[in-house]
Amino acid sequence: MIEQLILTLPMAIIVLGAFVLLLISHSKRFNLDRLNLIAVFFLILSSCVQFIIFKSNDIEFLFSDVFGETFILDTFSRIFDLMFTIGAILTLLINNDYFKSRRYFNGEYFALILFSVFGMMMLSHAHELVTAFIALEIASLSVYALVGYHKNNRVSSEAMLKYMVLGSMTGAFFMLGTALIYGAVGSTNLSDIALYTANHNIDEMSLLMVGASFISITIMFKIGAVPFHSWVIDVYHGAPYPITMFMASTFKIAIFAIALRLYIVNFGEVNVFWSELLQAITILTLIGGSWMAISQTLVKRMLAGSSIVHSGYLLIGISSLGLGSEMAGPAVMFYLIAYFISAVGSFGILSFIASQSKTQMRFEDFKGFANRRPYMALMMSIFMLSLAGFPSTIGFLGKFYIFTSAIESGQILLAGLGILTAFISVYYYFKLIAMMYFYESDEQKKKLPIDISTILIFAMGLVVVWGGMGTTLIPFIPGADGFIDIAQETINSLK
Amino acid sequence: MMDNILTNIIFLPLFAAVVLGVFRADTKYLKIGAMLSSVATLFLVLFMTYNFDPHAGMQFIKISPWIQNAGISYFVGVDALSLVILLLISLLMPPLYIYMYHEKRKGYWYNMMLLQTGVSGAVLSLDMMLFYLFWETMLLPIFVMIGKYGNGLHRYNSMKIVLMTILGSMSMLFSIMYIGYIYFETHGIWSFALNDLASIDFNAQTSIWLASGFLLAFAIKIPLVGFHTWMAPAYGSAPTPAVVIMSSIMAKLGIYGIWRFGYSLFDSTLSYYAPTIITLALIGLLYYAIRAITELHLRRMFAYSSGSHLSLIALGLFLGNIYAWSGSLYFIATHALASAGMFIVIGLTYKRFNTVYLDSLGGIASKAPRFSFFFAFFALSIAGLPGTGGFVAELLIIIGAFKVNFYIGVATATTMLSAMVYIFWMLQRALFGTANNEREYEDLSFREMIMLLPLVVLLIATGVMPSFFMQIFDPFLVSTLEAFTLNSGGVK
Repeated sequence: MIEQLILTLPMAIIVLGAFVLLLISHSKRFNLDRLNLIAVFFLILSSCVQFIIFKSNDIEFLFSDVFGETFILDTFSRIFDLMFTIGAILTLLINNDYFKSRRYFNGEYFALILFSVFGMMMLSHAHELVTAFIALEIASLSVYALVGYHKNNRVSSEAMLKYMVLGSMTGAFFMLGTALIYGAVGSTNLSDIALYTANHNIDEMSLLMVGASFISITIMFKIGAVPFHSWVIDVYHGAPYPITMFMASTFKIAIFAIALRLYIVNFGEVNVFWSELLQAITILTLIGGSWMAISQTLVKRMLAGSSIVHSGYLLIGISSLGLGSEMAGPAVMFYLIAYFISAVGSFGILSFIASQSKTQMRFEDFKGFANRRPYMALMMSIFMLSLAGFPSTIGFLGKFYIFTSAIESGQILLAGLGILTAFISVYYYFKLIAMMYFYESDEQKKKLPIDISTILIFAMGLVVVWGGMGTTLIPFIPGADGFIDIAQETINSLK
Repeated sequence: MMDNILTNIIFLPLFAAVVLGVFRADTKYLKIGAMLSSVATLFLVLFMTYNFDPHAGMQFIKISPWIQNAGISYFVGVDALSLVILLLISLLMPPLYIYMYHEKRKGYWYNMMLLQTGVSGAVLSLDMMLFYLFWETMLLPIFVMIGKYGNGLHRYNSMKIVLMTILGSMSMLFSIMYIGYIYFETHGIWSFALNDLASIDFNAQTSIWLASGFLLAFAIKIPLVGFHTWMAPAYGSAPTPAVVIMSSIMAKLGIYGIWRFGYSLFDSTLSYYAPTIITLALIGLLYYAIRAITELHLRRMFAYSSGSHLSLIALGLFLGNIYAWSGSLYFIATHALASAGMFIVIGLTYKRFNTVYLDSLGGIASKAPRFSFFFAFFALSIAGLPGTGGFVAELLIIIGAFKVNFYIGVATATTMLSAMVYIFWMLQRALFGTANNEREYEDLSFREMIMLLPLVVLLIATGVMPSFFMQIFDPFLVSTLEAFTLNSGGVK
């Protein structure tokens, strides 16, 4: 029993931290800086505990005598937990200046972030559909509140409302799907569902397939795949920068945590039914996302649109996964890591700039940015190159793995389309680089403040480059192979 | 020393750039550092050439694992084909740095060093993904240099060249990945090493569309007619050093790509595309020449002239006999030298007159004889003046063309005539006649003579004793051509 309790520690620490923050947030003795540090302290503590207590290749169910096989602990969830905590830590630390520059931030913000991280962690551990739904809602509700955090701002409130109404509605589909699956299988446990799909013919599983399709709708909505994408750009635009960064990087990954688990463990067998549907969604997502990203004038909206395209690449991976590609699982995982790092970096720089001015950032506002802030411009270029999939960055390897997995599963046209949208994305990412470098600026060069946020952004830039072309020749430092090894291990633990 | 020499050659300029960048060197030290790195690279390359054995095929090979899960390795090696281009890039870099002597903008120097690494890496790499990495990387400095330091519609043009080139390289990437997958399917492991991939036998249909991915990338880079819309605007608005590298080296990399990857991966399939490409090249010869005749902007004129000559090189490559091949390879070298000289001289013209439009030049010969000499020499060597290397090379290609087909031969021969037309007309309007420009200007300074003299000497040397230079690559051509004709029975 005690052992089991220790295993829940990482999650428990996060919840505890959230409550502590709620309690102390109104005390005058704690300003935003301190609250931020406290939140980060809990997150770091949680990830340290994870490092210490988990042994790899060790699959265990939490409190299996009480809950049955509801919560699973495996390498997969452990890696995702790490990514969530790291994502939250980066969000909090990089945006420290932003919090101070805006009046509307107060202590509850940090509590909400921690609650949301807790929800995501639960989601990655969930081994049962209802639990997954509850976890998803915990994470989502916190994010809804965060999106509308700037109460007096119309755009922010509109985004919140839009996201919440649509999100709750699609959340209902998840519940409906769960009910239907329960009707077919007699259980909502993933192991039972996997057993059921393995032992039945496609013709006998129509109820399950309908249910699974409903669940897919929720997942597609949350990652912003195209028929369900209408919220993405407005919500990303309306949310404050730190929240956009948190959503685009961390929250999106959380959705893929449950998606990967479902598609690999459970619905692998029924894939024949919806592989064409998935391919159609993928094609729409790639084209539609590119279309939306290309036509934006605000950098934030462009990044929002491009995040739809990145969901499209991930869907290529998921689709090849269903068609039996060996590489696809690790490829999706690797792409998640690559996208995570690049998105955190690019949104981090945006919010770093936003913390010093109050204007919306159009492409034109980046004119002469390289003159004013040469190092930031260099970092931004690295992240843009990585998002565009330019070789020598981690983003390129991510695309490389995704596209080879598509080729491996015989979806040559999908791979071709992916390459085409990658080409289109070169336009809007390079546009930003062009704006930064090709115009002279009248303003004086500003001195780069060396504080935690700039250091973290530089670290991310280094990881992006090293992850793209690091050699294994230097001892003790994993090269470009390191991330794909992690991804491989993560996916293997699912099977 | 010899073991890692290629790695040193590739990464020395990058290393210098990183060191200078980390220490935030002043322009003064930046100049010295860049110059030193280029001279050191040149010495390394010359030293390697001295130890190079023309009969031995691939040499100085270095393989080390890189991204093992995907079978990507760091795999470099040099043979006669890559040696020629490597020699060119390292020979051209020091004169360009001398040209940039007064340049105060730091980014310029960093980009040049990065460019040298990109180009030498692309020429030396034998792993497809490594090649792709360098192929894309060398685009970044060009993008920044045109967009930031160019003139005219430079921002638009730099975006245009980047998008068009990346469209090509993306299609190449797709083909590379597919070939890698076929290797994986047959052998059970991933590999992108060229010699592994070359052992695959594709079925004809697959091979044809895979080759099209590569050919699109190379056709845009050369550029063959129809893929050339980026060329004149980009050459017109790029700063001189960038233009020199683009016309002398990067355009040749398109040819190099077909030669190296096209012939080893799809030997017989290329003969399927040969009629198309020969036609395009023949059209290009004439079309570009006519555009050059009508053009008044000097840099654009020589952009078209360069397009015309690159079409000639591509033509020689696809004619597939020993005369045409040695002509093509020789022309890669001599045209690089001549067009580098020409574009530098045009840059000097711009420094003096602040314009490169023909109708505002004129009457230079009487005021600045040394300048006029170099101007005329490089222009004439582009036109194929007997006694310069270009003449030998063009003659060889024309002989090769006549060997294949009388009409192709005749059409090829027009290139020398048309080049004469625009060169002589241009010379007459630029150097002689009345001066249309009131500006005061100096003749060539000592520094400028020093930077141009090596090119002149090399051009004359290649013209006077071609056999001395050709012995470097003759065995390579003979053996490759034998293998090629064995596979496909020659291109008809």
